[in-house]
Amino acid sequence: MVTAFFETVIRAGEGTPSPWRKALALGVAGAIFPAVLLLLWWVASDRGWLAEQILPSPVYVYETARDMITSGELPYHAGVSLRRVVTGFAFGAVAGLGLGVAMGLSRRVEEYVKPLFLAFAQIPTLGWIPLLMLLVGIDEALKIIIIAKGALVPMAVNTHAGIRGVSPKYIEVGRALKFSDWQTLRFIVLPGAIPSIFTGIRYGLTHSWTSLVGVELLASSEGLGYLLVWGRQMFWLDTVIVAMIVIGLVGFVMDKGLDRSEILIQRWKREEI
Amino acid sequence: MSNSDHLRIREVTREFNVNGEKLTALDSVSLNIAEGEFVTIVGASGCGKSTLLRLAAGLDTAHAGRIAHDGNLVTGPSLDRGMVFQEPRLFPWLTVERNVALGLENSGLAKREKKRLVEEHLELVGLSGFAKAYPHQLSGGMAQRAGIARGLVNRPNVLFLDEPFGALDAITKTRMQDELQEIWARERITMVLVTHDVEEAVYLGDRVVIMSPRPGRIRDIVPVNLRRPRERISAGLAKIRTRVLESLNSIDSRPTATDERPVKDESGRRAAPLRPAVVLAN
Repeated sequence: MVTAFFETVIRAGEGTPSPWRKALALGVAGAIFPAVLLLLWWVASDRGWLAEQILPSPVYVYETARDMITSGELPYHAGVSLRRVVTGFAFGAVAGLGLGVAMGLSRRVEEYVKPLFLAFAQIPTLGWIPLLMLLVGIDEALKIIIIAKGALVPMAVNTHAGIRGVSPKYIEVGRALKFSDWQTLRFIVLPGAIPSIFTGIRYGLTHSWTSLVGVELLASSEGLGYLLVWGRQMFWLDTVIVAMIVIGLVGFVMDKGLDRSEILIQRWKREEI
Repeated sequence: MSNSDHLRIREVTREFNVNGEKLTALDSVSLNIAEGEFVTIVGASGCGKSTLLRLAAGLDTAHAGRIAHDGNLVTGPSLDRGMVFQEPRLFPWLTVERNVALGLENSGLAKREKKRLVEEHLELVGLSGFAKAYPHQLSGGMAQRAGIARGLVNRPNVLFLDEPFGALDAITKTRMQDELQEIWARERITMVLVTHDVEEAVYLGDRVVIMSPRPGRIRDIVPVNLRRPRERISAGLAKIRTRVLESLNSIDSRPTATDERPVKDESGRRAAPLRPAVVLAN
């Protein structure tokens, strides 16, 4: 029966011509699993399948969240995390864009830099933390560097691929029109690489966000990752769950936001007559 | 300088290196094109017709021999020479209008003048209502019109067209040929069009240059002395078409290195084009 309901929802989404109803139906489909999970959680804590210290009830978690918001604790920690991500991501994305463009445009740069870069990219972000701790300490610099690294790799890889993917036929049009190198870059190569660069931004932001939480788990006294660690040490699992939900939500919203702006920027790609 | 010195191609040879083997795409080709002339170049694939066009346009310069345009050696692309490619090669991220305007990026003209030229050329190719459309919203024929507008917007005195209608359906193709002919008659610029379509070559050209492959050579040049506008089904046109076809068909179809089965011609004569049945019988 559940399957039948599911099918109906999906069919409704696909069959109706109205984009609004379609979006609504898709939203409903996407909400089914969270709802089931919530139900399961509620039943589990209600029946006492797990000790309350390990799995607090949804209602209790909701109350904790409300208290943390009104007391300003949650906004404060979320703000700290967001600020770190924005700064680190900005550094990482700009550096990654520069590196990607350089490797994309110059075979020589690619030959010199790419092997090291690939090796560098293979080391998980968190693997850098022990060495970086000794080099820069455990203050803001450490977090910014780790977050920047998270953004840099996908940004550079995708920008590089995007530039290499621009058809030589387009470049030839530029030659026929006597374009300078700068004009070729500005009018052909960069616009042609934009879809790929956007993919880089998206992955970069996701990586930044996840590495932020990672670095805050290890070395921080504020931020959402810190809330997680602190909650665990104190055995406040309600706090842990609130922090997890906020981390997931913020990441989800950022990704959706980028998706929207991608559609807006690349109207030429999706807009039909 | 006489009129026939407009575009001079002298003893031009172009070799390519394919997997370490030397391939002669053009073998000492010479051709003079007069100002305002419409020359069509026809031949089977691999006869070097597109290579010749790219060399004349200055997109490829690795040749032996001389190519001069209005007395100046061609050493690279120039805004005096327009180019229309087979795939229209419009930039998908720009509107039709912006695509055409890119042609004027290095013209040094004032903004107002550029705008006027873009509008004028969109009008010329019948795309005025689609200035703000993106390429993916256009049909194949419309996209190629935009490509022609971009090639003409600098007001070059020669326009090179590399199989511009090769990817279009038959109906659109004939309509585009008529439109191109009108544009040529109105603008009075030289046009050099490469095609594998004999019909098209004869219908549009003042002269039809017939090329033969391996190595690419000019085999014959057939003048089309018929008044314009021409009738597609006139007897005169049919006669010239037959002549061009005969010339193309008599081209030696010797086996190449890539052919698996050797086809011998014992008498040593130039082999007539072999039909599949004949090849199988060998």
